[in-house]
Amino acid sequence: MGANSGPGASPCASPVGPWRKVLYARQPFPDNHVDRRFLEELRRNIRVRQYRYWAVVRETGLVAQQVSCVAVFITLWSCMDQGRLGPSVLLWAATGCALPGYGLYEMLGGKDRERPRLADLQSAAVFLAFTFGFSPVLKTLTESVSTDTVYAMSAVMLLAHLLSFPYTQPSPPGSLSLNAALFASVCLASRLPGALHTFAMLSWALLVFALWPCLLHRLRERAEWSFPWAAGLVCAGGVGGLGAVWPGGALLLSLALLVLTLACPLLLVCLQRHKDNIHGPWDEAEIREDLSRFLS
Amino acid sequence: MVLKIFFPTCCNTADSGLLIGRWIPGQDSAVVLAVIHYPFIPGQVKKYLSETQNQSQVDLAVLGSWSLPKDGQEGMDSFLKDLSTIFPNSRWLQLSREIGKRGFACQVVHNRITPPDPAQGGTDKKDQIIFIHYDQRKVMLSQLHPIHEESPGEESSELRAVFHTVAQSGPLFLLDRYDEGPLKLTHWQSEGREASIVVELSKQAVFLCLCMIACVFVILNIWPVQFISSKMSTCVQTAYRTNHFQTVFSTKKATSHMEFMRKANIFVSFLVDMSLGLLLVSWLYRENHISQLANTLVKLSLYRFFLYHIHLWISYIRLMSPFIEMILWYVGLSACLGLTFALSVLSDIVALLTFHIYCFYVYGARLYCLKVYGLSSLWRLFCGKKWNVLRQRVDSCSYDLDQLFIGTLLFTILLFLLPTTALYYLVFTLLRLVVVMFQGVIHLAIDLINSFPLFAMGLRLCRSYRLAEGVKFRVLCEEPGTPLHLMMEINPLKCSSVLQRYRTPTYSCYPRDSWVDLCKKLFMGELIYPWKHKTTKTD
Repeated sequence: MGANSGPGASPCASPVGPWRKVLYARQPFPDNHVDRRFLEELRRNIRVRQYRYWAVVRETGLVAQQVSCVAVFITLWSCMDQGRLGPSVLLWAATGCALPGYGLYEMLGGKDRERPRLADLQSAAVFLAFTFGFSPVLKTLTESVSTDTVYAMSAVMLLAHLLSFPYTQPSPPGSLSLNAALFASVCLASRLPGALHTFAMLSWALLVFALWPCLLHRLRERAEWSFPWAAGLVCAGGVGGLGAVWPGGALLLSLALLVLTLACPLLLVCLQRHKDNIHGPWDEAEIREDLSRFLS
Repeated sequence: MVLKIFFPTCCNTADSGLLIGRWIPGQDSAVVLAVIHYPFIPGQVKKYLSETQNQSQVDLAVLGSWSLPKDGQEGMDSFLKDLSTIFPNSRWLQLSREIGKRGFACQVVHNRITPPDPAQGGTDKKDQIIFIHYDQRKVMLSQLHPIHEESPGEESSELRAVFHTVAQSGPLFLLDRYDEGPLKLTHWQSEGREASIVVELSKQAVFLCLCMIACVFVILNIWPVQFISSKMSTCVQTAYRTNHFQTVFSTKKATSHMEFMRKANIFVSFLVDMSLGLLLVSWLYRENHISQLANTLVKLSLYRFFLYHIHLWISYIRLMSPFIEMILWYVGLSACLGLTFALSVLSDIVALLTFHIYCFYVYGARLYCLKVYGLSSLWRLFCGKKWNVLRQRVDSCSYDLDQLFIGTLLFTILLFLLPTTALYYLVFTLLRLVVVMFQGVIHLAIDLINSFPLFAMGLRLCRSYRLAEGVKFRVLCEEPGTPLHLMMEINPLKCSSVLQRYRTPTYSCYPRDSWVDLCKKLFMGELIYPWKHKTTKTD
């Protein structure tokens, strides 16, 4: 069965013609025969992007500012815990940040509104009422849990928040990241002396973890130039705040931010040339068709 | 061809006469049931046979002749041969025996259309005969297991046919030697009929009780009474016993073996139950035991805790404590109705006293169940997933900001309150399980007393031949030239088979769930009802 041509015979020429790459026709070649067009459809690294260093550094700002957000939050909690700031001060500060932020959001939003203003007002009322009503309960929640456990849980949850944050599409906040951050904030807030402290802490958690990423995303979309300044402001605030509470921590944070912002992009760009991906007709098919014409 | 003759041991020393029995159809075997002695009138023999055949539905026939010459009796051989013409049959057996010798001699005369071969003495070369001796009384009273409800004439095996024939031939064994009739027979009862006068008298006396029991039964069938009584084990036990009275004391005679055994089992177990109950009564009313019991119960029920329910309970008990002794005195009298009744009353008392534990258990279980349900749903929200009810699976879902916020807050609250609720639930569940186990043990004891087939076990131990599983054969006499003699002995039924077969069906309570299901239910906080009552089968 099959061709009797041995390994020394001429591969292409045969009485019936050249070799065809089909399996349904009986050909006088062995089953594993290949000709000179073998692997000519192989492509290497067709999807490798050429990163430019400073562009990558600019994008890394998002990650850095998120880390700084966490640092800012911990600073605020630490201040309240040590009694340096009263809850009323924080509450007024929260109002002072929220209202301009909302105004900025509206200004940048323009004509397209996905939610009417009344819905926003309703949401805000629900948040405030709920948080205020539950803050006495939340305050006594971790009374039977040891402090170390509470700190450990909060640390794990904040780490989970950073890891699961949707950096590519931060505008509707991801479920797991937001929930982890809120859980950590409830744990930490329950260690504070009074119910009003808890309320203030939760309000700030909402501002920092839920509303700020939306505003930042809107800024990036509408006013590209302001993004690096905003990120830089947040990083500076984080480092400064941590420095006021724990100087060692500030040093660590600044080191981490530098590594994140400067060293990691360098690594990414340098390692690109070691990439070796092969592509060919054997890959899984990807549908590139635009299906939006079916959605009217 | 081998001819098997089943010969009763009581006829081994019978005087000469005619053999009465039955040919097993299609099996080449014959069962000898009795011997009719000389002198007799053939017409009377035939009349008697046809009468007995009508009464017993067994097709009796004269099988042949039996000759055991006593001193001075000679020359019966020719007489015996002529008898074969009077009682025509396809085969005629001529059995003879000499005093002092163990073996029988047998000749088979075949009455065919063609003239038979001249019987020259000695057996027909083609016929080999085996005599199987059996104890007629034991085989008659025995029941071969496994029991088949067959119509006569269609027995599936030869052994079954033999047992059936002997058992059905009761009317044949009614004539004994003291009867002044024209015929003289020898069979197992010919030395005197057994009679049980006591049974007859008691049957008449008990008929009156039946009327009273019927009234009670009518009352128990009204709906509200039925609902409450289905919850209390005392009433369940009473209804069960009433059913049994109806079965036992009905005037209809038991038609089949199983019915008879059931009646007998129920009667004997009832008697034992009553006697145990009377024993308990005699112990209880001696030496002030009632007041001691009352004190213990009062003390037990005072040592419970928890809140406002406890306070109510304590007041109630304090109110009742002077009356408890009197109540217990009268309730203890109910033990006269049987030990099972007393145990049922105990079970009900325990249930009433621990009612508050049951209440707490229900509260704790419901709270815990709600909490677990809420936690699992909110955990799915935490991870950004949702339960798809249509597809019965977990899907991803993009929640709104307010849903996420409130969901996380609630999740945190439920999570931190979980240890407290779980602990309360654990404590109440353990208490409830202890009570349930105790009640279960009591019910198992009641069930054992109710369903244990005492009569069948007694029968198996004392009269083991009544319940037969099969037979075994022993060689009596094996000499060349004479037919083989075997002794057939009855193999009694194994004790485990007796228990399994004759257990009275009861409303037994058995666990509803397997262990795995039970653990799962406990973990999820569902209410557990561990015992399920089987309803009695109505005949």
